[in-house]
Amino acid sequence: MNANSTDSYGVLGRLLHGATILSRVAMWVAGGLTLASALYITADVLARGLLHVPLGGADELSGYAFAISISWALSFATLQRANIRIDALYQYLPTRLSAVVDWLALVLMGVFIAYWTRYAFDVAGASWANQSAANTVLATPLWIPQFLWIAGLVWLCIVLALMLIRSAVALVTGDYETVKRVCGVRSTQEEAEAEAEAGERLVRGEAQ
Amino acid sequence: MIATAMIALLVLLGLSIPVGAALGLLGLLLDPLYSMLPLTRAIGEISWGTSNEFLLVAIPLFILLGEILLRSGMAEKMYGSMSLWLSWLPGGLMHANIGASALFAATSGSSVATAATVGTVAIPQIKKQGYNESLFLGSLAAGGTLGILIPPSINLVIYGVLTNTSVPKLYLAGIIPGLALAGLFMAAIVLACIVRPAWGGRKVDSRWEKRFASLVHLVPPLGIFLLVVGSIYAGIATPTEAAALGVVGALILAAFQRRLTFTMLRDALEGTMKSTAMIMLIVIGAAFLNFIMSAIGLTNLLTSTISGLGVSPLWMLVILVVFYLVLGCFMETLAMMITTIPIVTPIMIALGFDPVWLGIVIIILVECALITPPVGLNLFVVQSLRKSGSMNDVMLGSFPFVIMMLIMIALLTIVPGLALWLPTAFG
Repeated sequence: MNANSTDSYGVLGRLLHGATILSRVAMWVAGGLTLASALYITADVLARGLLHVPLGGADELSGYAFAISISWALSFATLQRANIRIDALYQYLPTRLSAVVDWLALVLMGVFIAYWTRYAFDVAGASWANQSAANTVLATPLWIPQFLWIAGLVWLCIVLALMLIRSAVALVTGDYETVKRVCGVRSTQEEAEAEAEAGERLVRGEAQ
Repeated sequence: MIATAMIALLVLLGLSIPVGAALGLLGLLLDPLYSMLPLTRAIGEISWGTSNEFLLVAIPLFILLGEILLRSGMAEKMYGSMSLWLSWLPGGLMHANIGASALFAATSGSSVATAATVGTVAIPQIKKQGYNESLFLGSLAAGGTLGILIPPSINLVIYGVLTNTSVPKLYLAGIIPGLALAGLFMAAIVLACIVRPAWGGRKVDSRWEKRFASLVHLVPPLGIFLLVVGSIYAGIATPTEAAALGVVGALILAAFQRRLTFTMLRDALEGTMKSTAMIMLIVIGAAFLNFIMSAIGLTNLLTSTISGLGVSPLWMLVILVVFYLVLGCFMETLAMMITTIPIVTPIMIALGFDPVWLGIVIIILVECALITPPVGLNLFVVQSLRKSGSMNDVMLGSFPFVIMMLIMIALLTIVPGLALWLPTAFG
């Protein structure tokens, strides 16, 4: 996790480390939003079923919570290299070439996210300019959830930029270890080990 | 146009760009090539619309439900009970592997989690009771795949969203094939152990009073299943609402087992959000690409080209099966589903296949992909649980179960009612 604390590019490493901590906190907040959605939806179902008075807005609010939680969770998932990548060719590449491919993949991912963030701004900007409100009982001003959603995307852009600079420096100096650590593919092996370990910890570890 | 798009997609995926971004980039690329209008701008609206779609809120909720249940400590007790009930069959505990997987599948929407949980409890028994290692491991990897066929299932929600098919209908359709497939798995084990009795290990002693006493451990998983799936069919809840009810039910269950702690909840939420973010990046990339593809007429062109080949529906189905078997060998399953379904299903539906039935067939093919080498994720999960020995054991042991999955698809083709009877009767 504290990927770069040992290497010589101290400032960049510390920045990335800080970004990881912030992203992790954002991830917990996103998780909290999801849990809150679950509780509110349940309350809504119960109120509707037992008291015949729906609380209302559960679908709308949990939809906003969902959008915001995804955009904010993406940066930690990316830092953890959790995004699915196809390694059918990649696994046969020599170390140096695969490091270049890792870097290139990160650049192209950055391009897509940059486009996405750019046009997401248009959506929220239009809502702000037109003062659009949701077509629901709550009539939520749409720019509020939309800007919270975009803030997550902007943070993702910042994180990607940091990862990109760090791995570019490492690539140029021939530090392929660091390139792998910042943006390498998690192999199926690595993935499965993590899953298996989690499974074991769940059944054993907590079962004192 | 088709060739350009195919080559660009293969290059992007071959460069191992994250799948979601690769799909989005393909959209960005196709837009200036084939369209007069700047379609790219639509990504803002599309991603916002997809991100707050209430049906998709079911995805994080079902993942969270699974994460909490995993940590609630019910797996071990459930396995114990299953082994008392099923281990008299030739093949002993291997039947408990399948049974526990099927039951766990009824509370969890993920195959990998099912294999990891049941596997952790079961693997120490191989040496203790003298089982054939390969077949035993295969039964765990294969049993785990039931997680996505027996409702609730994250993959069925995704199929439903991608094809505009009713998720409750898909859930109903998955029940009978899920149980039938578990039955076929058990039949394979019985057959193998009749031919080679030595593979079957030693019998576990079980008496009726012990069996009945153990039934109490099956109550929690069945309770969650009834809460989630029952509330949908009682008309009380939509799939997303049912998932939320399930999360609350699981929290209560974990609290009763004294497992509900702050750390536990934080870990569960972290795991949930990581998986959700990863899935949604692909869903958003795919939604954008699909928009571009239909706007520039690529989707229609593909459909008409393939239906213009004049292949009979049955042969088309055979091609579909081979296509997914091959693709499943080197593609991650979620990515495979999200990239192919928007293209494959319109073609198949145009040929007269039922979308609900097709969903079940595709899910079974995805299950195959999970246990076929070289990248079947369940194989790796089971392998990492045992720590030693060759990966080949797991692959070989899974092979008979792949055959059973193909038999299941053949059965579904001959008797579509296996999948469609429940949705028509209750839908």
